[in-house]
Amino acid sequence: MKDTPLSNCERDFILKAIEEKKRLDGRQTYDFRRIKITFGTDYGCCFVDLGKTRVMAQVSCELVAPKESRPNEGIMFFNIELSPMASPAFEQGRQSELSVKLNRQLERCLRNSKCIDTESLCVVAGEKVWQIRVDVSMLNNDGNLMDAASVAAITALCHFRRPDVGIQGDEVTVYSPEERDPIPLSIYHMPISISFSFFQQGTFLLVDPCEREERVMDGLLMIAMNKHREICSIQSSGGIMLLKEQVMRCSKIAAVKVSEITELISKALLNDRTARKAGGRCGFAESMPQERITALKTDETLMETSDVTERANDIVEKAGAPPQTVPSPLVPAPGVGQVSQGQQNTWGLQEEDEDDDDDDDEQNGKETKMETEPQEEEKGAGDVVEISDSEEEEVVILTSETSGQAKNADSSSHQKRAAASKRRPKK
Amino acid sequence: MAADMRLPRVRKTLSVSESASHRRDLVVPGDIITSDTGFMRGHGTYVDDDKLTASVAGEVQRVDKLICVRPLKTRFNGEVGDVVVGRITEVQQKRWKVETNSRLDSVLLLSSVNLPGGELRRRSAEDELTMREYLQEGDLISAEVQSVFSDGALSLHTRSLKYGKLGQGVLVQLSPSLVKRQKTHFHNLPCGASVILGNNGFVWLYPTPGQQEEEAGGFYTSLEPVSLADREVISRLRNCLLALAAHKVLLFDTSLLYCYESSLQHQVKDILKPEVMEEIVMLTQQKLLEQEG
Amino acid sequence: MAGLELLSDQGYRLDGRKATELRKVQARMGVFAQADGSAYLEQGNTRALAVVYGPHEMRGSRSRTLHDRAAINCQYSMATFSTAERKRRPHGDRKSTEMSLHLKQTFEAAIMTQLYPRSQIDIYVKILQSDGGNYSVCVNAATLAVIDAGIPMRDYVCACSVGFVDETPLADLCYAEESVSSLSVALLPRGGQIALLQMDARLHQDHLEALMEAAMTACKGVSKVLDEVVRQHLQEAAVLNVCP
Repeated sequence: MKDTPLSNCERDFILKAIEEKKRLDGRQTYDFRRIKITFGTDYGCCFVDLGKTRVMAQVSCELVAPKESRPNEGIMFFNIELSPMASPAFEQGRQSELSVKLNRQLERCLRNSKCIDTESLCVVAGEKVWQIRVDVSMLNNDGNLMDAASVAAITALCHFRRPDVGIQGDEVTVYSPEERDPIPLSIYHMPISISFSFFQQGTFLLVDPCEREERVMDGLLMIAMNKHREICSIQSSGGIMLLKEQVMRCSKIAAVKVSEITELISKALLNDRTARKAGGRCGFAESMPQERITALKTDETLMETSDVTERANDIVEKAGAPPQTVPSPLVPAPGVGQVSQGQQNTWGLQEEDEDDDDDDDEQNGKETKMETEPQEEEKGAGDVVEISDSEEEEVVILTSETSGQAKNADSSSHQKRAAASKRRPKK
Repeated sequence: MAADMRLPRVRKTLSVSESASHRRDLVVPGDIITSDTGFMRGHGTYVDDDKLTASVAGEVQRVDKLICVRPLKTRFNGEVGDVVVGRITEVQQKRWKVETNSRLDSVLLLSSVNLPGGELRRRSAEDELTMREYLQEGDLISAEVQSVFSDGALSLHTRSLKYGKLGQGVLVQLSPSLVKRQKTHFHNLPCGASVILGNNGFVWLYPTPGQQEEEAGGFYTSLEPVSLADREVISRLRNCLLALAAHKVLLFDTSLLYCYESSLQHQVKDILKPEVMEEIVMLTQQKLLEQEG
Repeated sequence: MAGLELLSDQGYRLDGRKATELRKVQARMGVFAQADGSAYLEQGNTRALAVVYGPHEMRGSRSRTLHDRAAINCQYSMATFSTAERKRRPHGDRKSTEMSLHLKQTFEAAIMTQLYPRSQIDIYVKILQSDGGNYSVCVNAATLAVIDAGIPMRDYVCACSVGFVDETPLADLCYAEESVSSLSVALLPRGGQIALLQMDARLHQDHLEALMEAAMTACKGVSKVLDEVVRQHLQEAAVLNVCP
């Protein structure tokens, strides 16, 4: 499915916001989104959340014949799948430009930097070596797939355990995980890629672009480093022109970010290891957050109440005489009423008895003051029934026999007061 | 059958003494032409930091306050009034798309062609449906540029009896910068053939028509067999064109004629040999200089 | 690869060059009459042919026309006889597609595409002999071809690959040196702007600056050579009678 193009006003908005150093999600220029790493039940399966971007990596191994040019080295194979699950723009099976780009970058980042000791993967030189295969699947695309993929891949490789192999003379035995504990891969260092996006011909720079920012960017610079401050790969893409100073600055920022992320990965690996040792539950299902409603909370809004009195007075004075009402409905029991058309107000406001109390209450300052209330209560004392043409609902205030009940709720609104003032409650 | 073989050898550059007399201002992309802001910038230049910089490799042409750089080789940039020879690539609704060696395909509107029979009426829906009978994909036409669209595409018209579908003949495709701009591009050469020198570099050689086909309106192509003498003349002219183009000589009717005369002593197929080409071109250039001077 | 001394004590490399010396560059423009622009470039033992068609009407998928600029279409391929072992798949594999994308990106930055809306420019590059520095040679050859076609560019695009051995930057790598470490830079010399930056190797961050400086100096050297080639070609190919 073709990607819907970004509207011009959205594009202008994002660019303008970037000029004012604001990002859509409120981050700073050099901030990463929240990274969350979880592991699956198998060794070598790892999920990485970078904000809303979600990526899964799985490592598997297999004994194969080695390449002729390198008979005593193992083989590393990387594959990134852009599944349509991640974004409707990705098509199943078609090797789009983005997928080629990501695959090559991941290969260069991990393979050319020699982060894994491939010679230790050799079982029988020239005949059998381990082929380690890393499959990365994109589960949700919210920008910056490359960084998420690199973190996922290297974490999965660190997490992975391969079966132990025993060699007796000419015989090679591969032990299953039950017979002998699987052994981890020997990893020299952990290269992590950091993406920098450039806007307005290189004037503005953002780290970790989200999907919207990616759509408006001019170009991308990807720097892969490890925590020893060794640069493993640099790749600039998109049609931007860079200056040497910009590249140097980006590499310094990348060094800082990489050390943070490496720490996060080590912590996550450690947690997982302790969890497994303790026999705790681990796996994908555990990592999904439960959605629970714990409380219903409403926000408080502050209201400007300094000139409310005058406004209220004006409204009341301009209001005509309150219309006469229909006969009061049946009141089956005290405090019970019906809320429907033409019925009485069932909020249980007792006006006459509580006016004085209300006045005192209202001194506390939050509610609106209706000093004119006592006056209004005198009006409308007649018993004449008028059937008016007004469509307004008649509000009837229901009072119970027991006058001591203070049914007045805290957050009484202006309307209730007005309604109360319009009608004289009738028994 | 004798086959001609030659080994590669070092190309010797055609040393032309005349070039020393023309001291041209040759620039390459990125060269600063002037820092004076009083000049207007034309094609082939851009302004970078208040400095006028060249964006193509070629010679600088200065006309009063206008500076432009003309590249050596470029696609055809049409102007109103140019005569072009083109090939129909598409038949669309109410228009044809014509390939003319420019950066976008040119457009020939249905309302810009003469109806067969020379009628003057409004084009109807039936005319639209029978467009393919007038011109099909692959047909060659000669036309004139009527206007230029905003994105650079040309709008052509064939509203004259000398334009229209081309019949039997030979097409030679050359660079547009080699064709000299003249008053007329249709020439009947005295050697017995006619030529259309399209401004877009396409040159059409055809036997001189016996009598004018008035009623056809340019759509009737005569399929009568062409005589052997005419064919030889046309072949010789074609090879002369290729020789002139290889040595970057400006093409117009006189230069083509001189080249033809200089080549008469060789056989038609020998003209394509490099040393014969050189000889002929040298003779042509001499004659042209004599004529000028 | 033990035993291959990439940089000897006296400062000589495998092929006898000094650390910052470039290989011999020979180039020719206008090799094909059929194409709008063409060029052939040799840098040491690496040879490439570049051909440019355009700008012309968009062929193929009409949906890819850009309404405000020209679309650039690059294809990189290696001849099957270009490497020591015969190449099974000359184009279509991941490395070639990636190279094509990089070339496209490089030229999109340099060619003034706003002048040609809704058209397409095709750049085809073929490596005839590969001995390191493939990308750089392709870019240099394609620059010459684009100039030959008369397509306006902001500036030359020159590329060079540099490596880092024994604390010394080496310019213009050959195949043996490339497998150790390589940084490729495509530069527009006058403004010092980098159109493409690509590095595959482990390099400590402190050395990055020195390496980039070396790369930019090498690119400027290449640009001087290309400049000479273009000016020579201009002189030779100038039309004899000037059009009014």
